[in-house]
Amino acid sequence: MLLQLRNIFKWVQQGGQRIFLLKDINLEVQEGEFISIMGPSGSGKSTLLNVIGMLDTFDEGEYDFLSESVHTLKEKYRSNLYKEYIGFVFQSYHLLDDLTVEENLEMPLLYKKIKSSERKALVADMLDRFNIVGKKDLFPTQLSGGQQQLVGVARALIGKPKLILADEPTGNLNSQQSEEIMQLFKKLNEEEGVTIIQVTHSEKNAEYGSRIINLLDGRKI
Amino acid sequence: MLRNYLKIALRYLSKNKLYSFINIFGLAIGIASFVLIMLYINYEQSYDKFKGSENIYRVYMDYLEGDTFVPGDAMTYNLSGPTLKSEFPEVLDYVRFFYFEKMTFQLGDRIFEQPLGSLADPSYFDIFNYPLLKGEKEKVLSQPYSIVLSKSFAQKLFGNENPLQKTISAFRDGEEAVLTVTGVMADIPKTTHYRNTFLISYETEKTWTDWGPKAHELNWNANNYYTFIKLDPITNADVLRQKIIESDIEEDTEEQHNIEPIEDIHLYSNKPYEVSANGSITRVKFLMAIAFIILILSWLNYVNLSVTKSMERAKETGIRKVSGAQKSQLIIQSLFESILLNLVAIMLSLLLVAIVLPLYNGITGKGLNLQLGSLSAFLPYFLFILFGMVAAGLYPALLLSSYSPIKALKGKIQTSSQGLAIRKGLIVTQFLATIVLLIGTIVVTKQISFLESQPIGTDINQVIALKGEVVTTKSDSLLINEYKVLEEELKKLPFVEKIAIAQSYPGDSFDNLSSSRGILLPNGTKEDDKLFYTYHVQPDYFDLVDIEFLAGGTFLPSSNFDGKQVVVNETFLKNMGISSYDEILNKTVGFWGENEWRVTGVIKDYYHFGLKSPLLPMVIRYERDVNNILIKLDASAASVTGFESSITQIKSEWTKIFPKSTFNYTFLDQKFEAQYQEDKSFGAAFQVFTLLAILIAAMGLFGLTSYTVVQRKKEIGIRKVNGATIPQVLTLLNKDFVKWIGVAFIIAIPISWFAMNQWLQGFAYRTALSWWVFALAGISALLIALLTVSWQSFNAAVANPVESLRDE
Ligand SMILES: Nc1ncnc2c1ncn2[C@@H]1O[C@H](COP(=O)(O)OP(=O)(O)O)[C@@H](O)[C@H]1O
Ligand SMILES: [Mg+2]
Repeated sequence: MLLQLRNIFKWVQQGGQRIFLLKDINLEVQEGEFISIMGPSGSGKSTLLNVIGMLDTFDEGEYDFLSESVHTLKEKYRSNLYKEYIGFVFQSYHLLDDLTVEENLEMPLLYKKIKSSERKALVADMLDRFNIVGKKDLFPTQLSGGQQQLVGVARALIGKPKLILADEPTGNLNSQQSEEIMQLFKKLNEEEGVTIIQVTHSEKNAEYGSRIINLLDGRKI
Repeated sequence: MLRNYLKIALRYLSKNKLYSFINIFGLAIGIASFVLIMLYINYEQSYDKFKGSENIYRVYMDYLEGDTFVPGDAMTYNLSGPTLKSEFPEVLDYVRFFYFEKMTFQLGDRIFEQPLGSLADPSYFDIFNYPLLKGEKEKVLSQPYSIVLSKSFAQKLFGNENPLQKTISAFRDGEEAVLTVTGVMADIPKTTHYRNTFLISYETEKTWTDWGPKAHELNWNANNYYTFIKLDPITNADVLRQKIIESDIEEDTEEQHNIEPIEDIHLYSNKPYEVSANGSITRVKFLMAIAFIILILSWLNYVNLSVTKSMERAKETGIRKVSGAQKSQLIIQSLFESILLNLVAIMLSLLLVAIVLPLYNGITGKGLNLQLGSLSAFLPYFLFILFGMVAAGLYPALLLSSYSPIKALKGKIQTSSQGLAIRKGLIVTQFLATIVLLIGTIVVTKQISFLESQPIGTDINQVIALKGEVVTTKSDSLLINEYKVLEEELKKLPFVEKIAIAQSYPGDSFDNLSSSRGILLPNGTKEDDKLFYTYHVQPDYFDLVDIEFLAGGTFLPSSNFDGKQVVVNETFLKNMGISSYDEILNKTVGFWGENEWRVTGVIKDYYHFGLKSPLLPMVIRYERDVNNILIKLDASAASVTGFESSITQIKSEWTKIFPKSTFNYTFLDQKFEAQYQEDKSFGAAFQVFTLLAILIAAMGLFGLTSYTVVQRKKEIGIRKVNGATIPQVLTLLNKDFVKWIGVAFIIAIPISWFAMNQWLQGFAYRTALSWWVFALAGISALLIALLTVSWQSFNAAVANPVESLRDE
């Protein structure tokens, strides 16, 4: 088992009142799963994804990741965990505008004590796999949305994560570009066994996954 | 990794041109100003430092004024040195100087006028560790009629010949002495308060007879000598000083001996009869404060801008964090960027320094340079710059690295109120510094123009003082007659309006004025402890320099009665407690062993030394003498002839009568103004550095608003769509700055009031710290800030709101 959430609650205090963002979430994820989270806007999908990605904290409940109990870990260990095992893909790509495609891919490796020659090899490999060798010296703003998201996925993958968390990865893309990204996810999941959890609004995209989780007002339905 | 950091930093800096420019330029100006001021201060602090100088002290006289002793005279008696040496074992040795402002030398047919030399005891080279290039240390000054020349003076006299054992004639008041060159010494560094260019053996005094048969006898009568003593290194100078004061070696209750370290003279001493005009520690402290203010201002600027900028970079930080960056790695990267930026700024500042240094030297009149030798003195400052650089880089780095990644990715950072408070604090500090400097500039400028506009009680425009040295063996009376002839000849020139001979004149140095005490007043009281100053002139003097008589008039010109007449001034009457002119007019006073000085007039006070010194009690004597010839030029006639040719004609009359002589002249008003020279260049420095500080602050504000305006673009758009007018939007954007300046202004008032009051204490006559000085500074700061801010906010206010709203 890759991770397990048990009775997770998250709330914010507003005007002396508790507003629940997540209510009693229970979730088990096995290695190699491809999960889609769906639900209306504001239902807590991003919040859940951030909790899974350890970018955000929760207020109650238990969370085990690779049989480590995340809720007892110090912040520093938690961030070490996600840096090691999790890759993030965002709706608005979040590429660094000042860096070229190649440098964007290399960036996560810089924080991992990997030798320069090895970095180069990994980046070249990734460029090759995603068919964007020709774009490697361009800056993000010179790419189409679909291409930017390709780079975003490539960057999430370059650290060889066990889990990819994608928050509406195709939200800003047209249908053809969406299709491409979904195919890519599917391929990664099937051929390389990467676990994927994505948030999506589209039924069609959700179908790529093996399981769908529906949220409403912070609660699983 | 570092290469990566470098690459990214460079790309970032070149992409954000305004940001980089403001930061680099602001820092460079800050550092350059700091370096320039510190060079100057370093120079001022390096006076009179040589091997062993820490044990050398100058002996000076304190005079009793009321109930307390105050520094009264930089000169001492010829007995002071020998007595101190014999009474106090701590005093290892002494050297006395009899100082010549200038001296005329004759070598063959050539006549030279050489400034600054002394009669000196043979111990000179034991005490002052300046290299002797030729001759033996123990012997060069041991025999009478020996002279040691500075290298350049020797060069001037003898070219490349060996000057040793050559003879030259020296003249003082027409009296010749034939001197043998026994040594050549290295030129004395510029950073020396007493820069002798020649030394004549002290023994020469005994037979260089013109100074009267008694002059060389050891006595407590005339304090005309500078005395320096060398202390045993283990001596506690403060204890010795106390012992010297208490011992009262001279046995005179009106005055006492005191000592001060030679190294302190330049910055701390400002006594009557200094060798030369000294520097001022107040000025040094002020400049140092300005240097630090500007440097800190540029750092604050940097911090403020990069904090603002870091909010823009929050998203980037979030991405990096999510991609696995450690906090420490982000801090290092950010620091790396700021160090890079600072290094560029430092290099630029050194370039700036190198470019403006010649100009700066012109203003300050110093020979400053960026030499490696002074590096060690600069080390603390350098470390300070380094420290500030890291500190200024660290804050934005820490801030940036502490952003939580989701907040950063959602772009929620700019609302952080803590960051806002700090930025407000920084801006208030910047304005505080700017306003303080502005007030300082206004006060300094006001004080200088106050000094210049103050009536000085005399009119010295168009007056020149002619002073040449006549090489002659004629008797005094013959010389006086020749002066008379010259006077008559000069009067015939069309542009010469008036002529008078005077020993001293307004704007002259202290040297030609004697201080005395022990005057016998007409009512029979002898004032033993009240000081008065005296010089002598001829009857036409008062009319020529337009000094007004309150009672009586100038000396009677009867040819058989030309001595024993004096004129006194108001301050003299006040100090001596004389309340009516009748008590003194046409009565006699007594001093210098002569009880029949008839007071022919009382003059209105005039400022002999400018307004830096208080009014002095004056007794002006009538004496026939050869001295400065004061010439009042007829302005219109002189302008027809032209000043150059007027001077040439005067000179040719002079040389007709005195073919063997030197010729020198000064314009009195220029010499008088020269006393404010240091204050003026201080004022100029204050102005320039204040302008630079304002420039830095304004650039920072400009940069800052350009970001806040971008941040508030949406808000402005919404307000405009809902009916806000342009002035309303402008008010909204500028309101904060006005508030901050208000706070800064309130804090600035007491600080600058205290500081400028402190500075004004250095003047006997002070301008008022009027309320409008502060108001003017505050309003200027406000205007500068509003102009800077409005440049940006106006663009935002007039922009079409649809544009800004579409971005979202
Ligand atoms: N830090 C927070 N403080 C208050 N409310 C929040 C916070 N984060 C999210 N929310 C609210 O929680 C709800 C769930 O948000 P989110 O998880 O982003 O929804 P989704 O991604 O499903 O659209 C929304 O109503 C949002 O406004
Ligand atoms: Mg969402």
